[in-house]
Amino acid sequence: MSYGILSFGAYVPPLRLKRQAILHAVGWAVPSLRGLAAGERSVANWDEDSITMAVEAGRDCLVGIDMAIPHLSLASTTLPFADRSNSGVVADALVLDNQVATEDLAGSRRAATSALVRLAQGAATTLLLAADCRATRPGSAQEMQYGHGAAALLVGTGKPIAEFLAVASRHEDLIDQYRAADAEFDYALEERWVREEGYLKIVPEAIEQAAANAGVALGDIEHIVLHGSVDTARALAKRLGIEAKRFVDTLGATVGDCGAAQPLMMLSLALSQAAVGDRILVVGFGQGADAILLRTTPALAAMQQGRGPGRYLTHQRVSDNYTYFLSLRNQISIDFGLRSERDNRTAQSAFYRKRRDITSMLGGRCRLCNTLQFPRSLMCVNCSASDAQDGESLSGLIGRVKSFTEDWLAYTPSPPYIYGNVEFQDGANVMLEFTDFTAGQIKVGDSVRLVFRIKDFDTKRNFHRYFWKPAPLIG
Amino acid sequence: MATGIKDKVAIIGMGCTRFGERWDCGPEELIVEAFQEALADAGLERDAIEMAWLGLFFQEQSAGKSALPLSMSLRLPNIPVTRVENMCATGTEALRGAVYAVAAGACDIALAVGVEKLKDTGYGGLPERSKGTFDDLWLPNATAPGAFAQLASAYAAKHRCDIKDLKRAMAHISYKSHVNGALNPKAHLQREITEEQAINAPMIAYPLGLYDCCGVSDGAACAIVTSVEKARAMGIKDMVTVKAMQLAPSNGWEMSNSGWDGSYLLTTRIAAQRAYKEAGMTNPAVELDMTEVHDCFSVTELVVMEDLGLSPAGGAITDVLDGKYDRDGAVPCQIDGGLKCFGHPIGASGLRMAYEMYLQLLGRAGRRQLKSPSLGLTHNLGGHPFRNVASVSIFGLHAG
Repeated sequence: MSYGILSFGAYVPPLRLKRQAILHAVGWAVPSLRGLAAGERSVANWDEDSITMAVEAGRDCLVGIDMAIPHLSLASTTLPFADRSNSGVVADALVLDNQVATEDLAGSRRAATSALVRLAQGAATTLLLAADCRATRPGSAQEMQYGHGAAALLVGTGKPIAEFLAVASRHEDLIDQYRAADAEFDYALEERWVREEGYLKIVPEAIEQAAANAGVALGDIEHIVLHGSVDTARALAKRLGIEAKRFVDTLGATVGDCGAAQPLMMLSLALSQAAVGDRILVVGFGQGADAILLRTTPALAAMQQGRGPGRYLTHQRVSDNYTYFLSLRNQISIDFGLRSERDNRTAQSAFYRKRRDITSMLGGRCRLCNTLQFPRSLMCVNCSASDAQDGESLSGLIGRVKSFTEDWLAYTPSPPYIYGNVEFQDGANVMLEFTDFTAGQIKVGDSVRLVFRIKDFDTKRNFHRYFWKPAPLIG
Repeated sequence: MATGIKDKVAIIGMGCTRFGERWDCGPEELIVEAFQEALADAGLERDAIEMAWLGLFFQEQSAGKSALPLSMSLRLPNIPVTRVENMCATGTEALRGAVYAVAAGACDIALAVGVEKLKDTGYGGLPERSKGTFDDLWLPNATAPGAFAQLASAYAAKHRCDIKDLKRAMAHISYKSHVNGALNPKAHLQREITEEQAINAPMIAYPLGLYDCCGVSDGAACAIVTSVEKARAMGIKDMVTVKAMQLAPSNGWEMSNSGWDGSYLLTTRIAAQRAYKEAGMTNPAVELDMTEVHDCFSVTELVVMEDLGLSPAGGAITDVLDGKYDRDGAVPCQIDGGLKCFGHPIGASGLRMAYEMYLQLLGRAGRRQLKSPSLGLTHNLGGHPFRNVASVSIFGLHAG
């Protein structure tokens, strides 16, 4: 048993917007965007946010992991709640027990790498999640460059797939970009200034110190995780005297910059591709820099299959509809009719009673007849036995579509509203709202997985509630 | 030993408003319109009524809670009034209350009124309402068409039928009801449609198109009941009596257990079997002369034909297309136009169906009169296929 990175995971929403579509829509005003208009960016569906994406990354990271998770940290600059434990929602959705210590990390694109610097010194086993779902002003370079996504690392004591060699941090208040607490969008300064004064001065200091602390020559580092543009990576490679090909793919072609999640997203990619014994340097940049130097272990090979961003890069549905994108992200107000005025007030006391049923999708399994059911009930739906059900989450089960409809009358931000009966193992059947499907895609008998999503917005009270929805299988 | 309700209670007066978008009417006007017709039909004074039941579903939308909407609208002389609500079976439940009161000997004359004022929401379809504090946390915000569309996809999968064949049978169901509704001056929709129109209509909730959905209307209907003995004493010879009134609500099995395949309505099957037993029937397909079933959507009617035992399992498509349920078929269904043409003011629908049975049995149905029917069935299904309340009632002629 030793200490290090035990697992990794990532999540990229399936929806992609073609950057050409952005240019087509706003190029009349900002023709300079032409240079950025290649590939696609990832877009969170209307029912996704940093909480739901972090849950998916966490699930990816925890596949095959059977150990207690005493600590969960969630890093993001776009936490949906300013006061309500965001990490707590994630912990329930991941069906962690209630002794978990949860922590929200915010305020910086370095939130996750700074946490990793701290975790490198040793700590209780921690699931470190990072997610960002940053809104962008129409016509801005960020609209082209950003993506939505999440990543995860499990750090602690066990059988590490990578060990910490050294870390270093620098703080310098170079405001390359910022977002005030009450602002909707980032405010970004000139890229050339940021490169010259930030990436080529502050970042090298942190990198060189981390390498020196570990006694590793820069040329011996196989993978360098640096979020930013390809030009920046090229310039930094030259400045450090190392090969540009050692810089890990930023996934710019089909995802984009995922903010606080980007360093861990790229690290997940590096871990999914690295060889045993490779050294990986992770850099976080923003008002200073973090550098974390890792070396992979022989345990890595067994953990690489099906983990990390790779499989999400092909699990995508590409759109070239710019107004669809704006509407999903609530940046234009389509007239969805009077049904969209529905009041979605949540009875919080009822939610509290049922919080595990809802957030963990905890059903009940009857101890007498073994029937699984959702929701849990006092009397078994099959044998009527009283108080005989053990809680059991359905969230990890594969369901089978028993009936469905595509409803054009009901309100949803992404019509049609698709829902139906889904049956699960051991007798369970649940009527559920589907997500990430398009009209004409579903058939009775199809297999579906469950994903944690926003169920309803309560715009009057600035609240929204979450539940589980059937989605297409990946790959 | 309970003996059931058969031939204990007679319906001696009924009324029904014109159904439709009654922009000029509130619930009070609708109640009065139905009541005055029923009272005149029964030949009674208002104060002969001793007890009353009010069926009303959307209290928030419509007339409010409690006995008061009925008691105040009719200025009843402070007699006992009970408001009942059992989703789409609400109207039938009001009648069941009145029928049971008379059968119990609690009173001689009882009144049942069902009413719903739906067209005050400002949009099409049924009003959006909370499902309760827990269900709102997880159940889809389904519409009625979307919930019933599930029946179609599951039925097609189970019986391995092409959705196109199912759509054609559904279209015939709607076509047939429009043919019937065109003969009914009280129907909301009184125009015939073609099957092609139904098949090609805009999609509401796949595979249900516009003409697979019943209308949304305002309306009220009303019945005055008494004991068979009292009716006889009043000099009524050939009377319409209640043969059976049965109710079966879900207990959660369909929604929570994969034992249900989604292609049929469990509660309808149970209520029907109980009703046939109560009415002393053994072969409903032969004994019944007509039915008014809960055709909220065309596919519901199709599936219900099997659940009532009128078509064999998987055979409804063929029976429907063969015209078995047309007005000149073996067992005419929705002879008044059904929910399809009347719309579905929820509290009123059960009593509206009973009204058609009553008129047909007494030979008073005008242009749409069937040839001397003697036994008919009404059916309501409240809720959604995966959890609902089903009622099945049977009415027939009784020689005084």
